[in-house]
Amino acid sequence: METREILSLQFGHYSNFIGTHCWNIQERSFEYNSTTPSEINHDVLYREGLTLKGEVTFTPRLLLVDLKGSLGTLPESGNLYDPQVPPSTVDTWGQGVEIRESDKLPKNALQQQLDMHNSLRTNSNLDNAVNVWSDFLYPRFHPRTVNIIKEYMHGGESEFDVFPLGAKLWKTEQFAEEFADKIRNYIEECDSFQGFHVTLDATNGFSGLTSSCLEYINDEYERKSILAFPVIPSHYVDSEDERRPLKDSICVLNLALAFEMLQEKSSLFVPLCTGSNGWRKPGEPRKFYHVSYNSTSNYHTSAILASALDTITLKHRLKSRHDSLGDFCAYFNTHGRAAAGASLCLPFSLNKNADFIDCLDNWEGPLTQSITPNCTIGTDNLVQMFTLRGIPENRLKRPLPNANKQKLMSAYNCNSVNEMLNFYLSCNYYICLNNVTTVSQGMSVKTPFPNIFDEFVGNNGNIYGDSRPMDTVVESVPILAGLHSGLEVGTMLESLHTEAKRIKHPHKQQFITEGLEELELSESLNKLLELKECYENN
Amino acid sequence: MAAISLLNPKAEVARAAQALAVNISAAKGIQDVMKSNLGPKGTLKMLVSGAGDIKITKDGNVLLHEMQIQHPTASLIARASTAQDDMTGDGTTSTVLVIGELLKQADIYIAEGLHPRVLTAGFDKARFKTLEILDKLKIPIEVNKESLLDVARTSLRTKVHRELADVLTEICVDAILAIRTDNKPVDLHMVELMEMQHKTATDTQLIRGLVLDHGSRHPDMPKRLTNAYILTCNVSMEYEKSEVNSGLFYKTAEEREKLVTAERAFIEERVKKVVALKRKLCDGTDRSFVVINQKGIDPMSLDMLAKEGIIALRRAKRRNMERLALACGGVAMNHLDDLHESQLGYAGLVYEHILGENKFTFVEECKIPQSVTILMKAPNKHTLMQIKDAVRDGLRAINNAIDDKAVIPGAGAFELTAYKELMAFKDSVKGKSRLGIAAYAEALLIIPKVLAVNSGFDAQDTIVELQEESRLNPEPVGLDLSSGEAINPKEAGIYDNYIVKKQIINSCSVIASNLLLVDEIMRAGMSSLKG
Ligand SMILES: Nc1ncnc2c1ncn2[C@@H]1O[C@H](COP(=O)(O)OP(=O)(O)OP(=O)(O)O)[C@@H](O)[C@H]1O
Ligand SMILES: [Mg+2]
Repeated sequence: METREILSLQFGHYSNFIGTHCWNIQERSFEYNSTTPSEINHDVLYREGLTLKGEVTFTPRLLLVDLKGSLGTLPESGNLYDPQVPPSTVDTWGQGVEIRESDKLPKNALQQQLDMHNSLRTNSNLDNAVNVWSDFLYPRFHPRTVNIIKEYMHGGESEFDVFPLGAKLWKTEQFAEEFADKIRNYIEECDSFQGFHVTLDATNGFSGLTSSCLEYINDEYERKSILAFPVIPSHYVDSEDERRPLKDSICVLNLALAFEMLQEKSSLFVPLCTGSNGWRKPGEPRKFYHVSYNSTSNYHTSAILASALDTITLKHRLKSRHDSLGDFCAYFNTHGRAAAGASLCLPFSLNKNADFIDCLDNWEGPLTQSITPNCTIGTDNLVQMFTLRGIPENRLKRPLPNANKQKLMSAYNCNSVNEMLNFYLSCNYYICLNNVTTVSQGMSVKTPFPNIFDEFVGNNGNIYGDSRPMDTVVESVPILAGLHSGLEVGTMLESLHTEAKRIKHPHKQQFITEGLEELELSESLNKLLELKECYENN
Repeated sequence: MAAISLLNPKAEVARAAQALAVNISAAKGIQDVMKSNLGPKGTLKMLVSGAGDIKITKDGNVLLHEMQIQHPTASLIARASTAQDDMTGDGTTSTVLVIGELLKQADIYIAEGLHPRVLTAGFDKARFKTLEILDKLKIPIEVNKESLLDVARTSLRTKVHRELADVLTEICVDAILAIRTDNKPVDLHMVELMEMQHKTATDTQLIRGLVLDHGSRHPDMPKRLTNAYILTCNVSMEYEKSEVNSGLFYKTAEEREKLVTAERAFIEERVKKVVALKRKLCDGTDRSFVVINQKGIDPMSLDMLAKEGIIALRRAKRRNMERLALACGGVAMNHLDDLHESQLGYAGLVYEHILGENKFTFVEECKIPQSVTILMKAPNKHTLMQIKDAVRDGLRAINNAIDDKAVIPGAGAFELTAYKELMAFKDSVKGKSRLGIAAYAEALLIIPKVLAVNSGFDAQDTIVELQEESRLNPEPVGLDLSSGEAINPKEAGIYDNYIVKKQIINSCSVIASNLLLVDEIMRAGMSSLKG
């Protein structure tokens, strides 16, 4: 089977939180000696390599970017290829040497366990042990994966806060040459490279960096697809009251500039946030049944977005299908509709011992909850795609002899989970173009995934009548994720445009100082409005 | 702010004095960190991050980039110094030291009640004079190996240990001389720097041709070819589905299949053109054929090429298109129509080298290579980084010397001479600004002083002795770091770049003056500190 490779790019700290969960979810489900082979073709996102010592490696085909001081205990080039050496053993050719050693950062329990056993033996609660994403990173990276921006410090009120700063940064050697070369190194080794998954922090300088990077990619790798996820954290650390209104305005302008550049430079983009408003303030946290999460914890909210991202992109990562990323994006991006909204049902609550058919029959309200800010997804006039994982075919319905009441439902004629979900959609959504992908294995939520499920969620993610025993952990869950394109997406874009338009000069100043012209800014806003118009029914 | 100063003008003055004190102490702080770097006897710095990452350097510029500098004044100085490096590739440490010293000297006078404005006026006069002195010290050079070796060696020995420095010196000079064409400015990009984690640092070598960081991706392709035509191109040889318009729904499987076949045939045609040319030129001769493509080559195309015994590389660096044309001759092609022999380059030897998962392709034995590669080797990453930084500095030092057509005697000779002449000049200046000139002259001495201290000699004793020698000797006098005595840098072959010294003189004066006139800085401050 031909693998069509994808390169993943992550720009910014929150994107890296999401990315870390995604890689964790995937690697926690790697089965090295199982009788049931995975349905996922891991070669799409991973690469096989070889260390200088001749050991075979399997690492994400990934480049990520973050600011200085954001790595915590993770060495920049990892320790898979070059084990770390103690400073005292470094050869200095007998020259005088002055050692300036920063305090060694302590590793949390999870990382200690990984260092010691190379695997996780126990489940742990990391809620208080995560500061940066590397604190809960499970896989090991290729040495070229991590790229640290030396010019700006992570944390507090970062100075890397406006779009044009990122664009400027791309012009430095570290990006225009080294980063670009790393992209080339990854792609050169692919036999059938198809495109990019890009996650970017859209509220700060990373939006501008991503913009320049995508421009380069479009130039150098024309005709490769780019699926982009601009993300917004649900909570800002630096909520200093006095500066907050200014900071909020800066976020909004960055977002507007990010969306405008994505419509031009990506094949499809999907804004994600667990807060319902997103733009100035993240807003009310989105709610999910049987889940209680801390909306001020990046570790929690990024896990939710990662679940969606991992599920949405499954379609072109399966062994059984030959869908391409290009087809995937083109399905939505017609008539200039470059943006889509996403939604999620986590966990997809199937009661213990119940069948899928009953579950759907009893379902009330929409199947999924929107995770795109300012975008309430309705039930008609949509182009949409659903991916459902974790409902095995034997949970579809009862066999005929004991089907009882199920027999009376017309859905009983459906012979697969896929068919039945399609049927459900055609009955409950109007004038919609639906596409369904189903995978029978659930999504792994083993540590380091946070324990955000309530007591009624069982070990396999099914819903139980009474609380699960203390010593039972949730290992995997069924999950449903959707992508949607329709009027609602236009409304979302309009609301961003309105917010951005409202911003008065003093709050734009920083963008102007860093080299963006007023005119460019207002043109970008106009283009955003044009994008919105693409969603109006003609 | 205005309101406060109206109420209490003294508060404003006090605040300014306080800010000045802060600036001076910040400048001293960063000077202290950088001091021990200066010169060939400076100490190596090993920076170990909280996660255990190791970085080894003796370069002021690298150090300033790696350190976490919080204080705005220190960071301003750091930025001015690294800007210096961006322009000339050298002199960062000196810049930090001289700025620090100018402020220290100024501090003494200001404590005695002198207004900073008077001092900065003196700095300005001194700066003009110093530039004159610098011009007089210029030693014109011919662009040839001998004269370039000295300036390269001086630079490299301040960055890596002697044995390695001497290896790199030879390599850097040869590299520049190879790519230089008479009277045209040298494009340093035409020296490719390639890293190989392998062997030891002194195995670093100059390849008179190109080393690419990739190899063929087909098991049957030859690993080595001699007497090879090189086709450099930027043409996709990879089947890609043409612009999709929702392939999922609007096309039947049959329609799609047809499209695929047509597209494939289109790519195949391209490859066939290459094959045809190869057959025409090589079959029946001892010539062979290599394709280096900036775009992709898919497995089917690779297969066709492999069957013909062609080595084909895909996804070459954009810049290598230009380099290949300069190294091997020929033209980088954007299409494959009417291909002709004259568009091809030539290399006597093309072969692949594999290290772990990394492949390297050597394109060597070129006729008159005007693009070359410095292949840097070391057993680990941090040494590779150190070599890379050093090589860059070395190349720029050589290039500066070529541009300047001159060099300046090093080892503190310039600073000692400038001191002597500034002190004489001071006496011809009326008014208090002469104090500024004296302070400036004194500040320049920090360079020979620190060079002495870093070699284990007493700063004061050494300076007295050198000044004595300088008075007697019409030739510029410098410091011999092994004996602590005076030497003639010209005889010892210790040379610095003219442009670097010039930059140091200019930027130090400007930054120090700005920091002294602290009020202005405060107002302009925040915006100029960013970005
Ligand atoms: N062999 C030598 N003997 C005496 N002095 C030397 C010798 N080689 C170099 N120097 C002096 O050392 C100084 C340069 O040192 P160094 O290169 O460490 O600092 P820099 O150029 O100011 O900063 P950077 O770290 O950016 O290179 C010059 O003043 C030069 O004349
Ligand atoms: Mg130097």
